[in-house]
Amino acid sequence: MALKDDVAKIVGDQNVSDVKKERLKYSRDYSLVPPGVPDAVAYPKDSKEVSAILKYCNTKNIPVVPVSSATHFHGCTIPKQGGLVLDLARMNKIQEINDADRTARIEAGVTWGQLTAELEKKGMRMIMPLLPPADRSVLTDWLEREVPTNTVYDYGEPMQAMEVVWPGAEPFRLGSASVNGFPDSKSRGANPSGPGLDFYRFVQGAQGTMGVVTWSHIKIEWMPKIDKIFFAPVQDLTYAIDFFHRILPRRIGQECLLLNNVDLAAILAEKWPEDFEKLAATLPPWTLILVISGLQRRPEEKIAYEEKFLAEVLRNEFRDLVLADTLAGFPGAARKLLPMLRKPWPADVPYWKNQWRGASQSLFFIARPGSAPLFIDVVEEVAARHDYPIADIGIYFQPIEHNRACQLEFTFFYDQDDAAEVAIVSSLYRDAAQALMSEGAFFSRPYGELAAMVYERSAGYVAVLKRVKKVFDPKNIMNPGNLCF
Amino acid sequence: MGIAKRAYNALESIVGQKYITDDPAVCEGYRCGPGCYESGLGYERVMTKIPAAVILPRSTEEVQRIVKICNRYSVPYVPYSTGFYGPRSHCHVDNELLIDMKRLNDFEIDEKHMYAVVGTGVIYSPLQEEAMKRGMYVIIGGGGAQASVVANLIGDGWSPLSHRIGLPHRRILGTELVLPDGELVKMGSLAVGEDPFWGDGPGPDLRGLLRGFTGLRGCLGIVTKMAVKLLPFQPEKLMPTGIAPNTALALPQNRMKWINYQVPSKAAQIKAMFEIGKAEIAGAVTKVPLFWRAIAKAECKEEFWDIWGKENEDTIKNFHLVRVLLIGFTSEEQMKYDENVLNDIMAELGSKPRPTKPSDESWIKNADSAGMWLMCGSYTSVDYIIETLSHATQHGEFYADLKKKYTPPLMPDYGDPGWFQSFELGHQGYSEFLVYWDPDEDTTGVDHFYVETSKMNIKNRFYTSLLGPHQPLYLTGPKYGPNYHEWLLKIKDEFDPLWVCHPPVPLAHDVFVERSEWMKSIKDWEVPKKFPMPKWE
Amino acid sequence: MPTTHFSLDIRKLDNFAYDMSKCIKCKGCYWVEHTYMPGVRFSTRCPSNTWNDFDAYGAFGKMRIGMAIMEGKLKWTPKLLEIIYADPLCGACDVGCKRNLDLEIGLSLEAMRVKAVQDGAGPMPAHKKVAQNIAKHHNQFGAPHENRKKWLSADLKVADKADLLYFAGCQASYVTPEIAKAAAKVLNASNTPFMLMPDEWCCGNTLFSVGMLDEARDLARRNIEAVKATGAKTVLLTCAEGYRMWKVDYPKLLNIATTDLGFNVVHLVEFADEAIKKGSLKLSKSVDVRLAYHDACGISRLADPWTPYSGERGWMGTVNPRLKRRRGTHGLYAQPRNILAAIPGVTFVEMPRTRENSFCCGAGRGTKEAFPELASFSAKHRLEEVREVGAEALVSACPWCKSNFSQAVREQGDTIKVMDIAELISASVGP
Repeated sequence: MALKDDVAKIVGDQNVSDVKKERLKYSRDYSLVPPGVPDAVAYPKDSKEVSAILKYCNTKNIPVVPVSSATHFHGCTIPKQGGLVLDLARMNKIQEINDADRTARIEAGVTWGQLTAELEKKGMRMIMPLLPPADRSVLTDWLEREVPTNTVYDYGEPMQAMEVVWPGAEPFRLGSASVNGFPDSKSRGANPSGPGLDFYRFVQGAQGTMGVVTWSHIKIEWMPKIDKIFFAPVQDLTYAIDFFHRILPRRIGQECLLLNNVDLAAILAEKWPEDFEKLAATLPPWTLILVISGLQRRPEEKIAYEEKFLAEVLRNEFRDLVLADTLAGFPGAARKLLPMLRKPWPADVPYWKNQWRGASQSLFFIARPGSAPLFIDVVEEVAARHDYPIADIGIYFQPIEHNRACQLEFTFFYDQDDAAEVAIVSSLYRDAAQALMSEGAFFSRPYGELAAMVYERSAGYVAVLKRVKKVFDPKNIMNPGNLCF
Repeated sequence: MGIAKRAYNALESIVGQKYITDDPAVCEGYRCGPGCYESGLGYERVMTKIPAAVILPRSTEEVQRIVKICNRYSVPYVPYSTGFYGPRSHCHVDNELLIDMKRLNDFEIDEKHMYAVVGTGVIYSPLQEEAMKRGMYVIIGGGGAQASVVANLIGDGWSPLSHRIGLPHRRILGTELVLPDGELVKMGSLAVGEDPFWGDGPGPDLRGLLRGFTGLRGCLGIVTKMAVKLLPFQPEKLMPTGIAPNTALALPQNRMKWINYQVPSKAAQIKAMFEIGKAEIAGAVTKVPLFWRAIAKAECKEEFWDIWGKENEDTIKNFHLVRVLLIGFTSEEQMKYDENVLNDIMAELGSKPRPTKPSDESWIKNADSAGMWLMCGSYTSVDYIIETLSHATQHGEFYADLKKKYTPPLMPDYGDPGWFQSFELGHQGYSEFLVYWDPDEDTTGVDHFYVETSKMNIKNRFYTSLLGPHQPLYLTGPKYGPNYHEWLLKIKDEFDPLWVCHPPVPLAHDVFVERSEWMKSIKDWEVPKKFPMPKWE
Repeated sequence: MPTTHFSLDIRKLDNFAYDMSKCIKCKGCYWVEHTYMPGVRFSTRCPSNTWNDFDAYGAFGKMRIGMAIMEGKLKWTPKLLEIIYADPLCGACDVGCKRNLDLEIGLSLEAMRVKAVQDGAGPMPAHKKVAQNIAKHHNQFGAPHENRKKWLSADLKVADKADLLYFAGCQASYVTPEIAKAAAKVLNASNTPFMLMPDEWCCGNTLFSVGMLDEARDLARRNIEAVKATGAKTVLLTCAEGYRMWKVDYPKLLNIATTDLGFNVVHLVEFADEAIKKGSLKLSKSVDVRLAYHDACGISRLADPWTPYSGERGWMGTVNPRLKRRRGTHGLYAQPRNILAAIPGVTFVEMPRTRENSFCCGAGRGTKEAFPELASFSAKHRLEEVREVGAEALVSACPWCKSNFSQAVREQGDTIKVMDIAELISASVGP
C-alpha cells in the first residue's frame, strides 16, 4: 500500500503499520464517538519525521490524526475520515528538567506516569488535573486545557514555549523557544507568547486540527515540605461554594475540590463493588477536599497562618462546615487521597470512572460557581427523563482561579456492552449538554457531537476559526471531522 | 486630497456630524510628535502622517460599520485609543482615517467572578481604583496608568506586580474584535452568549489573533470590548497623599510593605530572586537600577543631571539593590511569614533590610511612565522581555555593550546593564532596557542602535519583545520560529486582503528602512524586491 | 553644545517651542492624577477636552497645534479659534504635566492666545465686547461705573486708611455683591481695618487671559499704582481670578517678580485661616450644612508666585540658570479646609476630585463670555460630583464659580445651594 510504503521511507518499516489489529487500536476509545479506522499508523521519532510525514500527507491530501496518549475519553483521536494516525508514543523524552528556572521540556509522548516519577526524584512536581491516567500525555492534557486541582497560582496555565509542525512546513518553534538555535541559546523556553502572533493559542483546544505539537516547556514546582489534607462533609453545595469564595481569593490551600459521594466513592474504593457501594451510601452528598502545604522555607509557619485563617473563617462565618483531617467512615482516606492528588491514576488499575460499570461518559464545562446548583438540577431533570438514576451521577466541582469560575463535571456510568445503557447515556449526554448550554454552561472545549451544538451558537467564531485553519492547514488534513473542520 | 467625499459622508452618517471631522486644525491635534515614544526618531519623522479625518465611534457596531465603509472605499485607517504609544499607533499613510476609540468607555465590574469589562477608551488607574475598592487588583503595565487597558493588554501588560500575576495574555477574557474587514468575532464565553467571564474557546483559542508577545499595533483589527481578569488583593485601603508632584499612596503597613535590600553582588541579587521565587513569597521583586534612584531624588531635570553626573562605571557596577513588595493577601500573619522567609534569604546573602518609605510612588496605581521623559525629553524601551531569570539576568550585559557603541547620542549611563525582575514566582524573569537621547540632536545613531538591538539578540540567541511590527519584519522574521513573518503575513492577508487596517504595518519598519538613506549603511538583511502588500503612500 | 536662548515671555510663542514639542500624549493634563484617581466616574480634570472629545481640545492636542501655528502651518479659522479659546485655562493641564514632565503647558496656551491677537485673529467677538466695556466703564459687564460700590451697605465699616485694601473686583461688585458684603463683614468681625480703592477698576483678568496683553498691562500698571498710592501693605481679594491676576499675572505682564509688587496679595481664605488661628476671628454660630468645597483654580493650582525667567536651554533640554518651576504647590488648599473645619455645624465632604485635581467650573478667563455652553457643561458636570457625595451645598472661594454654578443649578432645577466661603464664614461670625 502506497501510504504505508511512502511513510516507511520517512520513519522506517518498523515504525509504520497498516496491520488491521494495529489500526483497530485507534478506532475507538472510552467515548461514545462512533468508531473509525485509520488506514495506517506511523510512529515518528522526532519533529523532523513529523514534518516530513505532514508534508507528504499534505501533498497527497491524506488525513492525519495526531495521537500522543494511550487512553482517550473524548473521541477526538478516532479517525473520522480514515488517513494516517501519527502516534507520538516514541517521542517520549523528558528533554530537560531545569530546577533553577522551574521548567521542563517534554515531548508529546511523555506521560503523567513518566513525568511525575522523574520530577519526584528531584523533589519536584507539577500542578495536575484530577487523576489523569498514567499513560495520558502531559502535553496533550495541557493543550486541551484540562483544569488543574491547584488554584493558588495566579499565573495559571502551565504551558510555556513549544514546537509545532504545521502541515507542509518545517518545524516551527514558538514563544521564546523561537530563537535561533534553541535550545542552544540564552533563551530557555519559558515564554509561550509570540513571535509576532500568539501562535500557541491556535493549537490549544484544537484537538490536533491545526498542527502537531512535538514538545513543550512546562512549569514545574517544588514539592511542599509538609502537606495537610482536610475533608469537610457538605450537605449544601452553595454553602461550600461560598466558603471557596471566602478562602480561595485569600490564597489558601493548594489542591482544592468538591466531589459528590459517587465520584469520591469511585476514587477511593479498592474492592469492587463492595467498597464502592458502601462508600457511596455512607459518604455525605458532597465532600470538600482541601490541601494546605508548607513550602520550601519555614513550612510549619506557613501551615500555621493558613490554619489560623481557616479556623477564624470557620468559627466566625462558616460554623456549619467542619474541616477535619479524616473522612468519616473511611479511616486512612487522608493517607490515600493526598498522594492521589499528586500522581496519575495507575496504568494497571482500570480507570476510576470505569471500574463500576466498565465505561463512563463525562460531561464538563466552565461555569460561574454559583450556577452549579442550577446546572445540577438541569442534569438531574434530564437524567430522570432518561431513566438514568440520579443517585448514580458522579459530580465533580473544580474551582478555578480563586473560585472566580469553576469546571463542573457530570459522569454517567454505563456498561459498554449493554446497548440499552449505551443508548440511554448517549441520549442523556446529548440532551443534558443541550439543556446546560441553554442555561449558560460554557463548553470551552467541545468534543465529538458537542462541537456542533456549541458552534451552532457561535457562527462568528466558527467563521474566523475556519479562516485561521485555512492559513495553517489549507487542505484540512489535520484530524478532519472534529470541531468545526 | 483627503478622504473621498462619498466615503466621508457615509462615515458621517454613522456617528453624526459631531463625531467626525476633517478640519485641519483638529486633525493637527492628532499629529504624533515630535514629542512621543521614540521621540524625534527617524521612524516618527518618516512614517507618521496627520490623519485626513478623525472619527469617534461610540459602540462596537459603529466601529464595524466604519471599518466596512473603509473597506468599501479603500480608506486606510488606524485604531487609536490614547495615542500614547507613539509613532507606531498613529497614521502612516496619506488620506488615512484615524478611529479614535476614547468614547468606547463603558465599564462594568463583577466582584464575585473577578473581572471587569472595559471599552477601549478605559484607562488603567480608574480600573485599578474600582478593583481595589472591591479587594482586587490588576497590573498597571509599564506603559503607565494612562494607558488604555485594552491596548495595553493586547500590546504589553506587565510590571513588577507580575511576580505574582504573570503574563497578561491570561488576563484577557471574553473579548470583541472587529476584524480588518469589519466582521466581528467574539471570543471566549462571549462567543456563545452575553457573558464575558471566560477567555478561551470554544475550541482553538482565537486570542492568538490579538497579539504576539508584544502587540500588533492595530494592524489586525480593533478590539472594542474586553473582559479583564482581576486578582484578589489585600483588603485595606491605600490612601493617596501629598500634592503634585509629590504624591504617593500610603500603604497599610500591616498588609503592605516595600523593603529594599542592598546586596553585595549581582550574583547575590540573582540568587535572591531565584530563592524568593522558589519560596513562593512576595508580591513584587525587582532590581532597582541606580538610575531610578537619581530620578526619584531629583526635583527637576537639572537636578537629575547633578546627581547622575556624579556616578561612574564603578558606582553602577557596585550597586545591587533588591526591592521587594510584601502583600498580606491572606492575613497579617501571612505577610509576617513572607517577611521572615525573605529575611532568611537575604541574611544568607549577607544583607539586611534598609529603611524604606511606607508608600508607593509608582507601580500599584500610578505607573509613572511619563516621568521617563523628564531627564532627556525622549525615551524608548528597546526591549522588555519575559523569559527565564537565567535569560533576564544575562541580557543586560549585552545591551550595555551595545549601548556604549552608540553613546552619544544615547545618554551617558556608565554601562548600566538595565533592569531585571522576577515574574510568575521565579518561573520567569523580565529584563528591560531603557534608552534616552537628546531628541534635538542628530538621532541617526539611535535609529541605528534600535535596529542593531535585533541583530544583537539574534546573534546571541536572546528572545526579544521587538518582533512583528516593532522592527524590520524581514530582519527578525527568518531568525525567529524560524520564519514567523511568513505566518504573520499570511494571517494579515487572510484577514486584511486590502491592507486597509493601519498600512503598512507590520511591514512599516521595513518601509522606513527602505525610505531612509541613513539606514542603508546598516541594512545587511534580505528583503523581497517588492514588499508583499498593496502600495500605500 | 549649542544652546538656545529663551524666556518665559508669553509674547513670543517660540519661547515655548521646547515645551510644545516635548509633549508625549501621556494626558497627565487630562486625567485626574492617577494616585488620586477616584474611579471610573470623574476621571478627567480638563473641562475643554471633557466637553469636546477630539484630541485637539486637550492640551496634548493644543501643543501640537501650537507648534503648527508657530511654524505657520495652520491658518486661523473659526475652528482653530474655538480650539484655542474654548478653554478656561484652569491650570489642570499645567500641574498635571509638571507631575512628570515639567513642561510649561499653561504658558504655552497663554502664548497661543497672545499670538492669535498679534495675528489679528483673536480674541473672540465676545471678548472684544468685554474689552470695550472695560475701556468705557472700567468693568467687564458694561455696568455704570458709579454702581461699583453699591454693595457697600451702611452697616459695614470701611477705613479711610488701612494696611489692608479689599479689592472686590467686577464680579462681586456687580453680580454677586453678597460676597463683597460678607467679606467686609468678616473683616469687621475680626476687627481688621480695611480700605477700598478710591476708584476701583477692573483687574483685567479677561483681557489678559484672552491675549490682549497691551490693554491688560495698562490696567495692571494703573491698579498697582493705585494701590501704592493708598499705602496699603496688603491687597485682599475674594475673587480667585483676581487673586491670580494680582499675584501672578500682573508681575508677568510687567516682567517683575511677585515679591517686587511692593505689597502682599492675599485671598480672604488666607486671612480668615490666620485670623481663626490667632483668635481674632471667632466662628461661633453653627451653620448646619453638609457641604462640598470646590477649589477655585485661581487660588489653587494657578497660585504659585511669578518670577521672570530668561536663560539658555542646552543639552537634554536642561536650562541655565536654574528655573524654579511653578507647579501649583503653593495653592491655598489647606486654608479653606481649615476654615470649614472650624465652622460649627458644618459637615465637610471632599468630592472625588479635589485640590490640584479639581474640575474647573468652566467660567473663567474669557470662557463664559465666548463659550457659555462650555461653562454650563463644566459646571453641570461638577455638580454631578456634589450630588455623588450627597452634599447640600457647594462652597467655593470665587464669585465666578458661584455665579456659574448658581446658573447651572437654576437651569437644572437643582436643590444644591451654591455659596461663597466668604458668606459661610460671615454666617458663622453672627449677625
